[in-house]
Amino acid sequence: MGASSGPRLSGIQKQVLSLYREFLRVARSKSGEDHRQIESIVSAEFHRNSNEIDRKNFIYIEYLLRRGKKQLEQLKSPDIVGLSSLNVGSSQPKKT
Amino acid sequence: MAATTGASTARASSLKLAALPNQGRSTLSFRLCPQTARLRVSCAAKPETVEKVCQIVKKQLALPDDTAVTGESKFAALGADSLDTVEIVMGLEEEFGISVEEDSAQSILTVQDAADLIEKLKEKDDA
Repeated sequence: MGASSGPRLSGIQKQVLSLYREFLRVARSKSGEDHRQIESIVSAEFHRNSNEIDRKNFIYIEYLLRRGKKQLEQLKSPDIVGLSSLNVGSSQPKKT
Repeated sequence: MAATTGASTARASSLKLAALPNQGRSTLSFRLCPQTARLRVSCAAKPETVEKVCQIVKKQLALPDDTAVTGESKFAALGADSLDTVEIVMGLEEEFGISVEEDSAQSILTVQDAADLIEKLKEKDDA
């Protein structure tokens, strides 16, 4: 196992991956259709940010981490059943 | 599979040659030895586990059916970034009913790593 340890991840990268994992875990606790919906939105958001944001832009990444943690806390509430995302910038809404 | 058999045969014969140096045929066989060690580690996990992991990886990465995914396939080579790897590990957790710790999740680089880890965790569960 030791020999095959992955690329060294920085602390902030680990935080992002850990947040992502948490989100996916929470998504699992929601019902079928909403589960998939949450997963696809969360996945799209993380991937988009991972491509768009400069890896050295720590201030912005830390801001997103904090925001993500808050959103995660909200999502954890059993009263929250689903998630939706509206893309204002472009012409077509991403998800209803 | 053929590679495994081939390598282990070569290894056996190279050992034999080493044991009987008088035959004077200790030629190229030795080159395979470092690879054999790696292949032997690979054999720790059951083939069906590896196969199942391959399928999940394909599903998660939305790879076409004809993509060759084997035990030695690296996630990075299949086009997965660290976020995709998290998704794969989560998918595996769900499929096999296990819980992977974050530290070990980050050391998973290949399908084989994942299969080995799953077998280890399952063993622990059974014990």
